[in-house]
Amino acid sequence: MAAALVSGWKDRRRRVFQSVFQTDFSQPTPHSTPSLGFPDQGQAFGGPLAAATVAAAATRGGRLDYHDYLQHRDGTAAPSSGPFTPRQQTTPRAGNAGAVQAAQQGRNLFGESIFQQAADQLPSAHSPTPTASFGSQSTIRAPSLPTHAQPLFPSLATAGDDQVAFDRAWHVVTARIALPASATADDSFGSLAPEPQYASQGQSSDADFYEALTLVVQADTLLPRATHTDDILAWHTQQVRSHFAQHVLPMLLACVDHDVDDSAAADKGAAQRNRAKGTRRGGRYHERHMLVVMSSIRTLEAALRLYRYGLELIIRGFHRVDKARASADAHSQVTRFRRDIHALVGNSVSAELMRSLRIVLAHLAGQTLGIPPEDDREQGARPAPPTEDDLWAMAARQQLHELVGQLDDVGLAGERFQVLFAEIMDSVMSDFIRGAYAGVWTESDARLFTFVGDTISRAGNPAAASSFCIASLSDWVENHFARLSFEVLSRIAPDATSPVTLSDVKTYQSLALARLAALRTGELFDIVLAWPSARGALDDLRATITTAPRRLQLTGKFIRALQKRLLHPGCSTLQILRTYIAIIRTFHSLDHSKVLLGHVEPCLQLYLCQRDDAIRLVVTGLLASPEEIRAARKANDAAVKQGRKMEVENDAFTTPAKDPVKAAPSTTTRQGDSSARDVSATKLVELGVLLNDASQTRRTAPEVDEDLDWDDMKWMPDPVDAGANYKRPKSEDVIGTLISALGSEDVFIKEFASIVAERLLGEPARHDQELRVLDLLKRRFGEGALQDCDVMIRDVQDSRRVDAAIRTMRQLQQFQQRQPRGGVGDGPQYHARVLSRLFWPNLDREHFLLPQPVVDQQKWYEKGYESLKSNRKLTWLNQLGQARVELELEDRTVTADCTTAEATVIYAFQEDGEEAVTKTVDELYMQLQMDEDMIAAALSFWVSKGVLRKQGEVYTVIETLQEEEATTAAAAAAAAATAPEQNTADKGDESAGSPLRPAANKKPAKEREKEAMYWQYIRGMLTNASATMPLGQMAMMMKMLIPEGFPWSNEELQDFLAEKVKEGLMEIVGGKYKLKK
Amino acid sequence: MSFLEDSQNSAPGSLQNNKLSGARKGAETGQNAAKRLQTELMQLMTSPAPGVSAFPSADGNLLTWRATIEGPDDTPYQGLTLKLGFEFPANYPYAPPTVLFRTPIYHPNVDFSGRICLDILKDKWTAAYNIQTVLLSLQSLLGEPNNASPLNGEAAELWDKDPALFKIKVADRHKDIDDE
Repeated sequence: MAAALVSGWKDRRRRVFQSVFQTDFSQPTPHSTPSLGFPDQGQAFGGPLAAATVAAAATRGGRLDYHDYLQHRDGTAAPSSGPFTPRQQTTPRAGNAGAVQAAQQGRNLFGESIFQQAADQLPSAHSPTPTASFGSQSTIRAPSLPTHAQPLFPSLATAGDDQVAFDRAWHVVTARIALPASATADDSFGSLAPEPQYASQGQSSDADFYEALTLVVQADTLLPRATHTDDILAWHTQQVRSHFAQHVLPMLLACVDHDVDDSAAADKGAAQRNRAKGTRRGGRYHERHMLVVMSSIRTLEAALRLYRYGLELIIRGFHRVDKARASADAHSQVTRFRRDIHALVGNSVSAELMRSLRIVLAHLAGQTLGIPPEDDREQGARPAPPTEDDLWAMAARQQLHELVGQLDDVGLAGERFQVLFAEIMDSVMSDFIRGAYAGVWTESDARLFTFVGDTISRAGNPAAASSFCIASLSDWVENHFARLSFEVLSRIAPDATSPVTLSDVKTYQSLALARLAALRTGELFDIVLAWPSARGALDDLRATITTAPRRLQLTGKFIRALQKRLLHPGCSTLQILRTYIAIIRTFHSLDHSKVLLGHVEPCLQLYLCQRDDAIRLVVTGLLASPEEIRAARKANDAAVKQGRKMEVENDAFTTPAKDPVKAAPSTTTRQGDSSARDVSATKLVELGVLLNDASQTRRTAPEVDEDLDWDDMKWMPDPVDAGANYKRPKSEDVIGTLISALGSEDVFIKEFASIVAERLLGEPARHDQELRVLDLLKRRFGEGALQDCDVMIRDVQDSRRVDAAIRTMRQLQQFQQRQPRGGVGDGPQYHARVLSRLFWPNLDREHFLLPQPVVDQQKWYEKGYESLKSNRKLTWLNQLGQARVELELEDRTVTADCTTAEATVIYAFQEDGEEAVTKTVDELYMQLQMDEDMIAAALSFWVSKGVLRKQGEVYTVIETLQEEEATTAAAAAAAAATAPEQNTADKGDESAGSPLRPAANKKPAKEREKEAMYWQYIRGMLTNASATMPLGQMAMMMKMLIPEGFPWSNEELQDFLAEKVKEGLMEIVGGKYKLKK
Repeated sequence: MSFLEDSQNSAPGSLQNNKLSGARKGAETGQNAAKRLQTELMQLMTSPAPGVSAFPSADGNLLTWRATIEGPDDTPYQGLTLKLGFEFPANYPYAPPTVLFRTPIYHPNVDFSGRICLDILKDKWTAAYNIQTVLLSLQSLLGEPNNASPLNGEAAELWDKDPALFKIKVADRHKDIDDE
């Protein structure tokens, strides 16, 4: 809005300027004024004449040609011919004009001095002239006034009479109201104040003047034959213009100039300097500009006084001449004059003055409206609506009023000022909003501010009452901003009726709200990060983000912030997820329809797809233990409390007293906090919290068409920017949203299953948490999807029971058989879990040889299991499971929880001999038949525990910490190995062969199983069908009899049989195979 | 070891029940019998019972089987290997197979041509039985003959009166046969 005004204003300004300055300065007097025709009036004209020649000489440098031309014309042309009459040159005005030209052209010292000279001469010529030339004459009204010019213009005798009379009268008048030409100092206007001069003039001179004025004013009736007459008012206006241009402007410039150098530097340096000096409340910076403004105003005031004096004289003349006409005319004349002058002043104001004025105004307006000056702001002072008794604000307001009054008086309160004021108010509003509300996100807490009066906004805008910031802002706009505007504008234009209307106030408020919205939009990312302590800011946003374009702007801006600040490789996935949760919650509270969130989500989802650990993090977060959740909650509360403490000085009201942590000793609290922080550093505990939050899991169970629910009093139409398939969500549903962002449900469930499997195989604690999460997820995804997890959990529960049963049975047996305690039963404690192979993900079998005590335990366990569950057998998965190992070294005992593989490896170092136990990876490989990588990992585990030492390729047990060269070894390992097993219900029994074939046979387990079965067939065949059979027939029988087919070729079968022959189980007799008896 | 045996003995029954329900569904004879026999063979191979084994005959006819029973310990047949022949009817398992001892055996319930007097192979047959149960029943029959209804009266008499002579008679009668 300001821009349009400015351009229009500029245009007008140009026009006004042209109208003011288009006139030629060389024509201040009427063309008709004779110069050469008044030889005896040398006093009147002589001085100026001399000055004129000098002035002409001064101009000669630049305008030589013109001057010569004028001289030339002087001699030859008729006195009244052409616009460029030579007579002009001889008048004092012409002299002045020359000086003006000189001054304007060069503004050099020479010109100035000449000008000075001319100016000095004028008053001297001025005062005697009327007495000398007209003193003896009783009247100049007589048309037959004798003139000396007559002989010079015989052909124009009668016309000349009138003309001469007019010219004389003109001269008298102009001499009287001629402006003093002084540019020494602004005081000069004061000392030359026309009042005393006016008073000192005798009555006679007054009379003379008015006589002459009458002649001049009524020239067309009184001196009808005077061909060259002029309007005295226009002349005066012109005079004023030239005087202003000539004297006042330079002085104004000087006022500014004086400070420009300073303030140009000050602009940059002032702030620092001010801060260094600690000046407060509009230090020297503003004061210096205030000085500029005030001196300019004073200069203008003096000048205007002068101009008005001349006008006053003329008007008075009018009154004398014709009261009726004057009263009608005078007013319009005066206002016109005023307008002209104001236009003149307003348009010739220098940029520097405007700059100073801007600074002064901005300072005063800011102070009035409660914005601390810059140096205070840097020290942390925030803008706040000024209270009723704020003396600084009151003083500033007073000062502003005075200033505006003065500006108005001198004509500086024109359009330019209004534009300036508008700009300043605009920036003040922005400053206030930015300063007062940036980062202020507390919830409605009206105690900090006092509201003045009752606001119209509350009645008008229901949303305003909902948010503290909005209420306070509306109040500020109404009671301070609009008030100031009103005061200033009504001072400028007192005649206008109510410059600020109620609807204007509304407009201001909506502008302010829009700015607040923009501010909050920019802050949104930080607001999200501060969730949930920034609810107040969300209230603001909710109340201000009302239109579709603003919503679009909000999401657009937020996405940009997101991409810049969050979605880059520097942020951990945890951080991103945590922020995402905050985003979901923030946006939900901002917009229940989730449309805004829908706009923001895609970029996040796209990015999260690149993060492999996202799903894992979410799942582990969901599975956070109650302890972790409790700790996280505590930490949360504490953080919120702290945040509030910082935000609100008086926290006694805001601190929730229900927090039980308070009662606990401070040390435990701190410990809890730190552990919570540790947990939250690695886990997405928030999800666990959310999962237990009842409001989160509310489902839209009854899928009734909500649009048809006539009783829903909270019904709102769908947002305008909702998509085509928009479905109104019922609850916040953070988890659902998050999961949906991680890809399909299947992926999530699969990952969930594998993580649950891992956890179930982990520490043998109770798995309540998993069960609970599973229940909740079932509600979300349905029973079927999570069946695997169900089975897994049931497996673990069952095996706990089975384990207990087997152990009791074992103990009973021992008791019955009165076996001495010891032996296998007294070995390492052994627990197993029975898993259903089909339902557990990732159960690969790794082969290695367990320590003998563990193997014994396994066998015993196997027996117990098979007696408990008939026709089922166990397949041991040795690599899954944990062991607690106690190592008794010479000087210490090391207890460690480790994997079964690690326990097996360290057990291999147990020896009774006196020799140092030293093994290489290869030796271990031979001994344990374990995968080399696993051996290496286990070794490095024990090295890190300080149990083994690596020397080249050799690992040695460190028996004593001090003595590195330990020689004796006595490591006792008590392994509590938990080796899960694979239960296959659909497989029959197997009488022969151990489940584990020797590791040398590197064939996969499945293959070995098959071979065993084929061997059974072959044995059965050769036992029953025929004692000896050729290879072909055997292959054919196999193919026919095995339901799932026999994939081997004859050669493969031959190889297999050859192996059996080698093992001594078969023999070949006459090309036929036969079992060996 | 005892646990293992227990489980094995009870295993076939439960498994067979499963199979039975499957077989009843489509009671087409012939092919159903072949299929059933194939499944039984699979069971025999994957979870064999000690001391007994069976296999289709070498000519590839699934309805003709050969079986072997090891003479149980603590019986007169200890250490002997007894061969049997199975002939399955087309409507097996709704009718019992015809079982003969191919190895000459001296036993109260077996006649000299090898025919066996066993109730489950006659009127007590149900589809719940299978080759393995039959073989195991025969194995136990070797240790505990049913002397109330003997096919070989002399043997029945000797079983109680003169075990030593019985044993000698068994050894005399026994003769390992070599299949073709």
